[in-house]
Amino acid sequence: MEWLIFGVLAFWLLVSVLGAVLVKSPVHSILFFLSSVLSMAGIFLSLGAELLAGLQLIIYAVAIVVFYVLVITTIPWEKVKRFEGFYRKELFLGAPVVLAVFLLMGYMVLKGKLASPVGMAGENVRELGRTLFTSYLFPFEVASVILLVAMIGAILLGRKEE
Amino acid sequence: MTLEKAYILLSLLVFLIGLLGVVIRKNLITILVSTEIMLNGVNLTLVTVDKYLGKVDGQIFALFILTVAAAEVAVGLGLIVSIFRLKGYEGSSEIVHLRD
Repeated sequence: MEWLIFGVLAFWLLVSVLGAVLVKSPVHSILFFLSSVLSMAGIFLSLGAELLAGLQLIIYAVAIVVFYVLVITTIPWEKVKRFEGFYRKELFLGAPVVLAVFLLMGYMVLKGKLASPVGMAGENVRELGRTLFTSYLFPFEVASVILLVAMIGAILLGRKEE
Repeated sequence: MTLEKAYILLSLLVFLIGLLGVVIRKNLITILVSTEIMLNGVNLTLVTVDKYLGKVDGQIFALFILTVAAAEVAVGLGLIVSIFRLKGYEGSSEIVHLRD
């Protein structure tokens, strides 16, 4: 049963990721990316990470994808048309390299041993919240500073030139 | 081959496809989409190993990766829009001012 769920979600994820990379129009690419985000949320659910699946849906599928579509609508369409698709020569050069790297790392993953399990986590959201606000409190605060700096930077970059 | 290794192989493949997308795409916006795909692959590895080990630390790392992805999208799209407004193009083959 687990393998069936894995097969369906992995097929969905790979098809949508390949579509996002190889499809011609940028809008279609973003829609394929949205599909891959949905399948990734399903994989997180099947792995028992409920909080992360919800955050994936909220942050990626709602905030980031909508932001991309908004930016594409502000750019004139005939200018986007000049640069769509991909470089064919780079694809033929890059795909064998990527395949070789995948075979090498996959061999290492298959032959190697994972670390032994340490403990059984109980309820996902409760455990995650407790660990986040005790052991990882300082990185959590730093993340808020990162978001603030990114917001100020985006405002500065998007300002109209005087 | 256990289920965890299959998930790790899947995340490797997703990451490498995103890397290929960064190399081959022409449009700057789709290059940013490919970097998001790479970040998703890393998230999948963290959550898988977390499930196997029975801890939650990797999910917290994935949470921070989500935060950084949101910040990266805001700044990156701002850069692309301002490049487009100042120079009037957005193809990855025309931005060569640092190389020349």
